[in-house]
Amino acid sequence: MRTRRKRRGNRLFRGLIGLALLALFLLYFTALANIVWKGLGGLLSNVADPEIVFAIRLSLFTSVTATLICLLFALPAAYGLVRFRIPGKKGIQILLNIPIALPPLVSGVALLMLFATTPLGETLARWGLQFVFSVRGIILAQFFIITPYMIRILKAAFEDIDPRLEFVARTLGCTQWQAFYKVALPIAKNGILAALVISWSRAIGEFGCALMVAGATRLVTETLPVALYLNMSIGNLDTAMGAATWLILISIGSLFIFEWAGGRSGPASRANIKKEVAGRL
Amino acid sequence: MIRLDRVSKILGKFHLREISLEIGEHEYFVLLGPTGSGKTVILEMLSGLYPPDTGEIWIAGRNVTEMSPEERKLGLVYQDYMLFPHLKVRGNILFALKLQKTDAAVAEQRLQEVTEMLGIGGLLERHPATLSGGEQQRVALARALINKPSVLLLDEPLSALDPRSKEIFQQELKAIHRDTDCTILHITHDFNEAYLLADRIGVLHKGRLLETGTPQEIFQMPESMLTAEFVGMENIYEGTVFVDDSGAGIQIGQVKIRTVLPRTMRTQIGTAEPVHDSKNSGIISKEPSERRTDKVRVAIRSEDVIISREAFASSARNRLPARVLSLDNYGAFIKLTLDAGLPLKAIITKQAVEELEIAEGQDVWATFKASAVHVFEQEK
Repeated sequence: MRTRRKRRGNRLFRGLIGLALLALFLLYFTALANIVWKGLGGLLSNVADPEIVFAIRLSLFTSVTATLICLLFALPAAYGLVRFRIPGKKGIQILLNIPIALPPLVSGVALLMLFATTPLGETLARWGLQFVFSVRGIILAQFFIITPYMIRILKAAFEDIDPRLEFVARTLGCTQWQAFYKVALPIAKNGILAALVISWSRAIGEFGCALMVAGATRLVTETLPVALYLNMSIGNLDTAMGAATWLILISIGSLFIFEWAGGRSGPASRANIKKEVAGRL
Repeated sequence: MIRLDRVSKILGKFHLREISLEIGEHEYFVLLGPTGSGKTVILEMLSGLYPPDTGEIWIAGRNVTEMSPEERKLGLVYQDYMLFPHLKVRGNILFALKLQKTDAAVAEQRLQEVTEMLGIGGLLERHPATLSGGEQQRVALARALINKPSVLLLDEPLSALDPRSKEIFQQELKAIHRDTDCTILHITHDFNEAYLLADRIGVLHKGRLLETGTPQEIFQMPESMLTAEFVGMENIYEGTVFVDDSGAGIQIGQVKIRTVLPRTMRTQIGTAEPVHDSKNSGIISKEPSERRTDKVRVAIRSEDVIISREAFASSARNRLPARVLSLDNYGAFIKLTLDAGLPLKAIITKQAVEELEIAEGQDVWATFKASAVHVFEQEK
């Protein structure tokens, strides 16, 4: 009698898990599939739409530029934070993590105020480096948002490397730079690839921060998310769905690359990558 | 070749205290100590991972204390090999030469030499992850040797190998030392390894260098109790020193045994002159009254205990009646556990056990020389 009741309890529990999963799957799948379904039909036709073409090109240009600049800063920063004793390291790390927790809109306001109303922004503008309400502003906003993420992924990649590998390299004649360049960098290759892809796809989807800094001007600062926003607000559903579909495809594509690269790296970066992927979904 | 001059280092809770050590040209020096004794810290300071807090390090006549690792020109082989996973065996071994942009023909020639010496010519196109432990070890050694370092630092090179590979590799290490000009500093926790390979051994414990000496000196006349335990002395007691009409001895419980006191202890006790200088004379100057001093520790090697059925006259000054408690078989040898008023272990051959008809419960005599009784001051 009792065993039968227990078995029934187990079945009920498993049933509830299945039900929860099914409900979630249906919600997400239908929501995304609905857009892709509507967008896919117009995908080819809206490649001919100059507005979408402009948005795709601007999005690609700004996100790639922002990602590369980000790599330039994040790579030495992450390596330094992992390998060297740096005064104030803890503080730097906390500061770099704040933008991750902050709504992008707030980051945007912060950047806008810094570059529009302070002597720093004014001086840069006088030198011809205008960030506010310009394409440069989009790149700046994307850079600001993605850098903390990239540093986190890169740090995990370097943490996976035994520092003694670089040390052996140094006894074999490497300077610190050579040990980094010839040993740490090639070993962290997959982690770096993962960092690039995830940061890039974040950059391409960035909206709130860029909206604040660069505004949403049709055919000037119109990235894919901005195109989606502008066209939705005027009821131009076809173009909006087209932009959304492009964003979904890019996201799915980068997730695949990310998983693939992540699966080939060490345990710490794998765990971190899983977290990042979870964060994105 | 290598000189450490009062080198100290504090790393977290670990404290390396004023290590002074000199290693000669082309010497095979083994630094022996248990885990946490500071062996690896010394190795890593020598190779330049971090500088000492105080003291100086000299290698080949150069003060390298503040030098970076790449300037020190030494080879380092880690216990877990640390092969570069992104390079094939060839790339690993040629790493140093490629860095120096050595002429390709010369590099190939050197590659040939080291791979031949280590018997790894067939592995060149393999990735490190596909190699066995022994193979990785050889590749790591080749990677260090191709640079012709004057000093080779080996971090527990044998501890990860199975017994058979260990034996083979020991021979190879000897051969490498013979065939190259390298001064070798090898660290290990295994006394047998040290005994087989070393020209000289240094014993390290809790950040202090207890003593240095040839393997024979360390094995036969350890200067400290910790070394005695480390080299496997089994009969270890606490006792009190006394000096009476017939010389010095140690009182252990109810049992008195005769010994030769270390010179430092003789002066402390303040025995009257003359003290015989010869280390093994076994005679201390006579003193009319018995004198007691602080507690000491005493060690007797189980191999040094002679077992007989009858008491026999001999020059050995200690003879104790004992009862056999148990016999443990160690192949050709039998280890006896005896009750001689103090617990005593003795190792004798199987043949002797049979000839003397020794069995559990048997009463026998245990005999050992005064000079086989090693006395140590209490560790502070």
